[in-house]
Amino acid sequence: MILAMLRVMALSLVRDRGALAMAFVLPPTIFVIFAAIFSGTSGDELRLQVALGVATPSTLTERLETALRDEPSLRLLPGTASSPEAVIRLVESGQADVGVMLAADLNATTTSPVTIFVDPGKLMAGAILSGQVQRLIGLEMPDLALSRTAPDISSIVGGFTPEQSARLAAAIEQLAANGADASGQANLVATETVGPQGGSGASVTYYAGAVAILFLLFSAMQSSATLIEERSSGIVDRVAVGPAGTDVVVLGKFLFLTLQGIIQVALIFTVAALVYRVDVVNHLGLWLLTSIAAAFAAAGLGLAVAAACTTKQQAQTISTFVVLVCSAIGGSMVPRFMMPPWLQDIGWFTPNAWTIEAYHGVLWRGEGLLDLIPELAWLIALGSIGALLALLVSRWRLRL
Amino acid sequence: MNQAPAALRVAGLKIRYGRREVLRGLELDIAKGEIFGLLGPNGAGKTTLIRTICGRITPAEGAITIMGRPISRQTLRRIGLVPQDIALYPHLTARENLEVFGRLSGLSRSDTEKAIAWASEAADIKARLGDRIEILSGGWKRRVNIAAAILHQPDLLILDEPTVGVDVDARNGLHDVIHELSNAGMGVLLATHDLDQAEMLCARVGFLRNGVIAPQGNPRRLIDETFKGQREIIIELRQHPTPHQANALKTSGFASSNGNLSWSMIGRDAERSARDLSEAFERAGLVTREVRFREPGLDSLFVHLSRDATVAKEGSAG
Repeated sequence: MILAMLRVMALSLVRDRGALAMAFVLPPTIFVIFAAIFSGTSGDELRLQVALGVATPSTLTERLETALRDEPSLRLLPGTASSPEAVIRLVESGQADVGVMLAADLNATTTSPVTIFVDPGKLMAGAILSGQVQRLIGLEMPDLALSRTAPDISSIVGGFTPEQSARLAAAIEQLAANGADASGQANLVATETVGPQGGSGASVTYYAGAVAILFLLFSAMQSSATLIEERSSGIVDRVAVGPAGTDVVVLGKFLFLTLQGIIQVALIFTVAALVYRVDVVNHLGLWLLTSIAAAFAAAGLGLAVAAACTTKQQAQTISTFVVLVCSAIGGSMVPRFMMPPWLQDIGWFTPNAWTIEAYHGVLWRGEGLLDLIPELAWLIALGSIGALLALLVSRWRLRL
Repeated sequence: MNQAPAALRVAGLKIRYGRREVLRGLELDIAKGEIFGLLGPNGAGKTTLIRTICGRITPAEGAITIMGRPISRQTLRRIGLVPQDIALYPHLTARENLEVFGRLSGLSRSDTEKAIAWASEAADIKARLGDRIEILSGGWKRRVNIAAAILHQPDLLILDEPTVGVDVDARNGLHDVIHELSNAGMGVLLATHDLDQAEMLCARVGFLRNGVIAPQGNPRRLIDETFKGQREIIIELRQHPTPHQANALKTSGFASSNGNLSWSMIGRDAERSARDLSEAFERAGLVTREVRFREPGLDSLFVHLSRDATVAKEGSAG
C-alpha cells in the first residue's frame, strides 16, 4: 500500500514539469550560482575593479603599477589618474569598486605612500586591496620594503657603521635586481573612506535597495498568479467578450502591482530613513522615479511569468526560481563586486542589479537625473517588455 | 415584410484543429427571446462552438452574426457569457462583483448602478447583494454568475452548464431566472448535459455530433418524430446480471445504465404489461425491483442518438 502511494507521488512528479524542475533543476542551478559567488568572496575568482592614481610617475610607481596590473584578482581601469580627487570621483561614481593612489615618493616614511579610497558600502573591497598591495610589494618589490624599514632599524640600533650601511645598500640593490620575500612594511598603506556622507549609510542604502527589489519581485510574482485563477475560473472568458477584451485584465493588474510596489518600497525606505538616517527626503523626486521604475519592472516580469504559466503551482515554482536566481546574481543577497566578473556581467540582465545601482546612485552618490537614465531606461524597458509579453500571451491563450 | 434579425445566426461553420475538423458546416439560428438547448456528448465541440461565437476562434469557413451583424468587437458587446465555473471574485461582495463586471462591460458608473438594480431584480439576488461570494451557497453563486453576464442587457445570453452542482430548489429557481430573461427578449444558448433541464426550458434543442447540430427542433417534436408514439420500458434489477444475462438483455434491445442495474428500451415490448415483463425476466433468472413505462424524453433521444453514433463508428471501423 505504501508502494502504491509512492508510485502516485513519483508519477505526479514526473508528469509535473514545474515540480520536476523545482526538485531537480533548481537545486544544482542555485548551487552553481552560490558556489560562484562564494568562491569569489574567498578570493579564488574575485576580481575587484580598481581605479589607479599616480601623483608623479617614477621607476618605483611604474613597477608597482605593473605588479598591480598583472595581479589576476584585480581589474585596473584603463588609464591612470593623476590626483587623489580623480580617483575618489571614480570610486564615488561606482565606476571602480575601490581606488588606490600612489604618492610621488614611495620611500616616504612620514606619510603612507599608498592610499586606498573605498566606498563605505564596499569596505571589504578596501581591505582586500590593501592586503593585495602589501603582498605585491613584499613579493615584487622587496627592495622597497627593506629600504622603508632600514631607517627604523637604524634609529633602534643607534645607527649603522659605514660598512653596515654599504652592505645594506648592496642588499637593497640585490633585492631590487632579484626579488625576494620580505615583509613588515610600516605605514605603507592607508585606507580612507570616501563618499558624500561618510559613515555607515552607504551599506544601509545598498541593502535597502537590495531588499526592496527582492520583495518587489516576490510580491509581483505572487499577485500576478491571480491572472491564472481568473483564467481558470472563467473570469477572463467573461471579460473577453466585453469591449476591452483581456487587455484590461492585464493592464489593470500591471497598474495595481506597480502602485503596490511603490508603497512596499516606501515602507522599506521609511524605516531606512527613520532608523538608519538614509537621506530619502532630500532626494525624494529621484527616489520616487527609481521606485516607480523598479516596481514597473517587477510588475512586468511577474505578469509575463504568470501569463506564460498554465497552473498556479507552475507559476509558483517558476517565480521562486526566477526571484532566487535574479536576487542571487543581481546583488540582493551578496554585493556584486564580490562576484567573479562573468557573474557580474550576467547580473546586468536582472532588475536587481539596476535597481540597487539606481538607489545607491540617488541616495548615496547623490546622482542627478542624467546619471540615472541608463538604470531607469533599463528598468522601464524590462517592465514594458514584460507587460507586452503578458498582453500577447494572454491574447494568444484565449485562442487556444 | 421586415423580419427581426436572429439573436444568433451561424451558417456553414467549419473549425479545424490542425487536420482534425471539429465543426463541419454547422448551422444554427436562435431568435430573440428563444431558449435553445445545445446538447451533445463531451468532446463533441460545444466549447469550440461557444468560443467561436465569442470571437476567440477564427472559423476556417462560415459566418456568424449577432443581431444581423458579423462578429466584431462591437457585436461581441451584445453577448453575455455565463461560464461553467463561478467566474466571480470570491473575496468581493455580489454588489462589488457586479460593479466590476458592469464597468468591464463598458457601462458608465451611473449606468452600472441602474444595471445592478435591474440585473439583481432579474436574477433575484437583491437580498444577498452585500454578501461576499465566498460565503454564498452554490445556488446563490450561480444566480450572481448570471447577473454578472446580463448587466449590459445582451441580445444573446450564452449559458454553459448554468446549474451544475446545485440542489433541486436552486435549479428550479435558476430555471425561472432563465425563463424571465428570455421573456425579456434575450436569445439564450444553453449548453447543458442536463436533459430534463433542456426539455423543460428550451423551445428548441439541437444535438451536436459529428461536427453538426442534427437533429434540431422542438424537444417534444423531435421525441415524437423519433419514437413515433412508442413508450420506454425501464427495468430496475435487484442484483447485477451475469455476463450471459447482460448479453441477452443487450441482444433484446435493452441498454443499461446505473452499473447494469437499470435497463431501458423503447419500442416493441411497450404494449406488454409490466407483470408480463417482470415474469419473463424472472424466468430468465433476473430479479426485478421495478418495471415501469414512460413517455420517452430527451434523455431517451440522447441515448438513441449516441447508440446510432456508436453503431456508425463501429460500422465504419469494421
